[in-house]
Amino acid sequence: MSSESARANAAAEARFRIDDANWHQRVVKVMALDRRSEPVVRRLAQGRWGGATFFTASAFAPAPSPNADMQFSMASWLSDLAGRTKDLLDELNTADLVAMVATAGENLQQVVSVIGEACKAKHVTTIAFVLGSASTPQDALSRTLTQLRPWTLMLVIAASEEAIIETLAALRA
Amino acid sequence: MLRREQNELLSQTGPNTPGGRLFRRYWIPALLVEELPNAECAPVRVKLLSERLLAFRDTHDRYGLIDEFCAHRGVSLWFARNEEGGLRCPYHGWKYDYTGQCVEVPSEPEESGFCRKIKLKSYPLVERGGVLWTYMGPPDKRPPLPEWEFATVPREQSFTSKRLQECNWLQAMEGGIDSSHVSFLHRGELSSDPLFKGAKGNQYNLGDTKPVFEVADSPGGLYVGARRNTEDGNYYWRITQWVMPSFTMIPPRGDHPVHGHFWIPIDDENCWAWSFDYHALRPLTASEVAAMRDGKGIHVRYMPGTFRPMANKDNDYLIDREAQKAGRTYSGVAGIAMQDASLQESMGPIVDRTKENLVSTDNGIIMARHRLLRAIKDLIDKDATPPGVDTEHQRVRSASVVLEPSQAFVDAATDALNVRPGVAHSTV
Repeated sequence: MSSESARANAAAEARFRIDDANWHQRVVKVMALDRRSEPVVRRLAQGRWGGATFFTASAFAPAPSPNADMQFSMASWLSDLAGRTKDLLDELNTADLVAMVATAGENLQQVVSVIGEACKAKHVTTIAFVLGSASTPQDALSRTLTQLRPWTLMLVIAASEEAIIETLAALRA
Repeated sequence: MLRREQNELLSQTGPNTPGGRLFRRYWIPALLVEELPNAECAPVRVKLLSERLLAFRDTHDRYGLIDEFCAHRGVSLWFARNEEGGLRCPYHGWKYDYTGQCVEVPSEPEESGFCRKIKLKSYPLVERGGVLWTYMGPPDKRPPLPEWEFATVPREQSFTSKRLQECNWLQAMEGGIDSSHVSFLHRGELSSDPLFKGAKGNQYNLGDTKPVFEVADSPGGLYVGARRNTEDGNYYWRITQWVMPSFTMIPPRGDHPVHGHFWIPIDDENCWAWSFDYHALRPLTASEVAAMRDGKGIHVRYMPGTFRPMANKDNDYLIDREAQKAGRTYSGVAGIAMQDASLQESMGPIVDRTKENLVSTDNGIIMARHRLLRAIKDLIDKDATPPGVDTEHQRVRSASVVLEPSQAFVDAATDALNVRPGVAHSTV
């Protein structure tokens, strides 16, 4: 008599697996962090996605006031791809995942910190893609990675946009 | 998650399948050298990439890997007589040499030359590092012999075993690049297995069960970096090497031998898990080899006379619920290799990846699939040589290192990630 595992592992048993969806659509916010990654995110947005929406934070700039921390507005720098201003915290209220897209070598310290802190406060998982190439200087890549590392659970150094597409698809974006 | 057609593309490796064409561009391990211990020994059935083959060692110590079946009436040549430079079918005496060329058909006049018109499909079979390697692709694309470090160090510095795993190769391999499961499934073995215990890095593994992953392309595949916090604010990195199509090297622990795997399809529902251990600088000790033979580390004990693990699906992997409850093992299955294999086989012969829900710790798996799919496409569309064929891509090492937070692991560990003759692995 065969064991329980032998019977259960058989190919024929696969037809008895429950066929209902075992997941709910994830809400994924994809954000370009700098001007060079913005066209990439625009191209990504052309794809067919279930729960992904696309934004740009490339207009991010600290408020000009010397007391920036006090006057900085969360509502002034994030926009969707149609150019409409979006409030980060509002967006995070419905998000399951934030995927940041950055270009190696850009100074992203402030924008990453703001998004990262907000995601942390809202308990939203963050991942990041760093666009680089073989010609990207290592110190530039290191600098960007160092800025992203404290805030992301997964970092992918993406040699192509295709890698981002595949990753987002794998995560059911 | 993969679409159904992507899953099929990656999991099917038979002749004329896209994934099969990919695998057929590499030298792959076929047998342990001890399976053909001497000239004129018994031939061995070998199924690889859904092709039934027969390996033998002829009178002159030449290795052959040929179609298993006689061209006459389809008899399995496993029954053949290994004599006088070839395999003779016991049914009507047809004889084949190590290239599969028929050299004798006793019923036909010798001068008719009939036998020269009969040739079985054959593949080269070459010994390197205690392993017999074969190349099953187009002859004009045959690459140089493999140069994996474990196969090029002196024999006394390495130990290789293989075991049958009863599921598709990809779900087995994906376990090899998913180091987040170690802190759960193998946590008992980190402190008890003689080939793992005692390393400082184990404390980091056990102390931080939420590693953060960074993945970067390597020339031959991927660097999969798993980052954990150290007590002094630095990062403990475990950097796994994945080289296409199915080589994985686990980061080292202390001065233990370094280990890794090849995951080689037998057919679409079974694979060989090849497991190697080696030390770059010193012979393995007698106790290390004894432990490996006893199924410790990534090796297993076998059913007598086979390469099937002693714990297998037919005996429910000898699951011990008491050991599970007491925490001696996390899943109740003993041994690192069978802890992995039991769970991977439980997914079914070919896991349905349309159902899975991947998370951030799975990015090594996601990127490996992406690179495999891209390589298949480039091979089919442009006949592009896939990554990992170049022997330069094979001269790699895994590493475990402690780095400052500002350092990119690929940059900081460049030397550690490549073979350096005379230099030990970078390890914690």
